[in-house]
Parts: sequence; structure tokens; C-alpha cells
Amino acid sequence: MGYNVTINRQGLSALFDLKGKKGAMSDHAGGILPVFPDQHNTYTQSAGSTLFHIGRNHWILRGDISAEDTLISTLKPDQAPSDVSIVQVSDTLTFFSVVGADAAQVMSIACPLDLHSSVFGADAVTYTEVFGLKALVLRQEGGFEFAVEQSFGDLIQDYLDRAIA
Amino acid sequence: MLRITCPYCGSRNESEFLFGGPVGTERPDPNTTSDADWIEYLTVKPNPLGPVQERWWHARGCGEWLTIWRDTRTHDIVEAPNDTE
Ligand SMILES: [Zn+2]
Repeated sequence: MGYNVTINRQGLSALFDLKGKKGAMSDHAGGILPVFPDQHNTYTQSAGSTLFHIGRNHWILRGDISAEDTLISTLKPDQAPSDVSIVQVSDTLTFFSVVGADAAQVMSIACPLDLHSSVFGADAVTYTEVFGLKALVLRQEGGFEFAVEQSFGDLIQDYLDRAIA
Repeated sequence: MLRITCPYCGSRNESEFLFGGPVGTERPDPNTTSDADWIEYLTVKPNPLGPVQERWWHARGCGEWLTIWRDTRTHDIVEAPNDTE
């Protein structure tokens, strides 16, 4: 059975793991971050950067890989105060986009979480499981994106190929 | 499969969580407690027939630790018994 879906393994993103209280994070890096998401497990975007609120006092900032050096020089991980942690993690995750009319069906093979738009809305992001692996799943225009540990990238590509074959 | 409610993420599959063990008794002061009570504290874990308080880690989720009551007779997650907090 064929699915009307386009799956692409993305190139590297600039990724930063941000931990600390929102106020402290805002004081240190608020100037260059998108507005902090109000809700748990949602994201905000501005100027090419996306801020995922993925846990208590925990965010992931994603930008274009070409902006990585700029982000490092403005986030200043080495100058962060002791109650703020900023770690560059660009190499750790590989993202897949799953878009098209059947994107939700393909995701439902991979992921047990209810990803219906009434539950998992336009700005939703969360850690959950994809093919049994810890994965960051988010909704994007026309479908979904998800990220797994970089080392599982080939395996997940293979699973996806089999799922839609 | 259990459905466990994370205070941060809502209801999720048990497979996203790791079991953190039963909530034990409060740590006694080793300088004032008897050897027998100290060994009891270190080695004997709660294993009741009925509600037991447990710690779970949302490891494949937001990373939060949470505490629930589970009834060992039914495997259901239940309200805390009346005489507990
Ligand atoms: Zn959670």
C-alpha cells in the first residue's frame, strides 16, 4: 500500500540545550531567543530560530546550521551564570520531516502518541517515542518533523522506508 | 500497559517511563537508630498487597520524576489512601 507522503532526512541544525529558570535564561540570552513559549510542550519561532519548551526549566533552541557560530557568540555558553546551562548539541540529533496527506497515518505507525490536531496542535512539540526510540516530535506545516539521536538516523530511515513501502 | 499521567506532559504510555522503585520510609538517623532498624530501612522495600506509592521517571519524555499510587492487586493507578498524604 502506498502513502501520499514525502519523507526527508534533514541536514544538521544548530542546536542548543538550554536549562535553568526562565528568568535567569531570559536575563542571559533573552535578547536573541524567540519569545518563551507559554505552554509546556509547545514551540515559538522568530528570525529563523525555534525555541522548543520540552521540560521543566528546559528548552532546545534550533537554528540554521549556517547561523551556528553567530548563535554561539551571542548565547555565550562559556559566560553563562551558574544557574544557567547552555550546551551546543548540534551533532546529537538528526531530523526527519514527514509531510503530505498521509503524514499522520505514517506517524501513527511510528509513534503511539495521539498526534491528532485537536490534541497535538500547530505549535506542539514533545519528547516521546518513534519506533521505540526516544524522539522529539513536532508539528510543522503539512505534517510533522521528528528528531532521533544522530546514530539512529540510518536505522530510522530504513524503518520509514519499510513503513511506507 | 499502564497509562501514566505526567504533571508536565499529561497521559502517556508506560513505555515512556522508567520505574524508580517504591517510595520507602523516611531515612532514620544512622547514629541513633538500632542496627536492626537501619538494616530494615536499607534492605526491606514496601511490597504491600494493595496501594503502594511509587516513583516513575519520564525518561523518554520531559525528564520529570513523579510519584503515583498503584494498587498491586489490580495494577490500576489509584488515589492516595485516606491516611496518607
Ligand atoms: Zn513528562
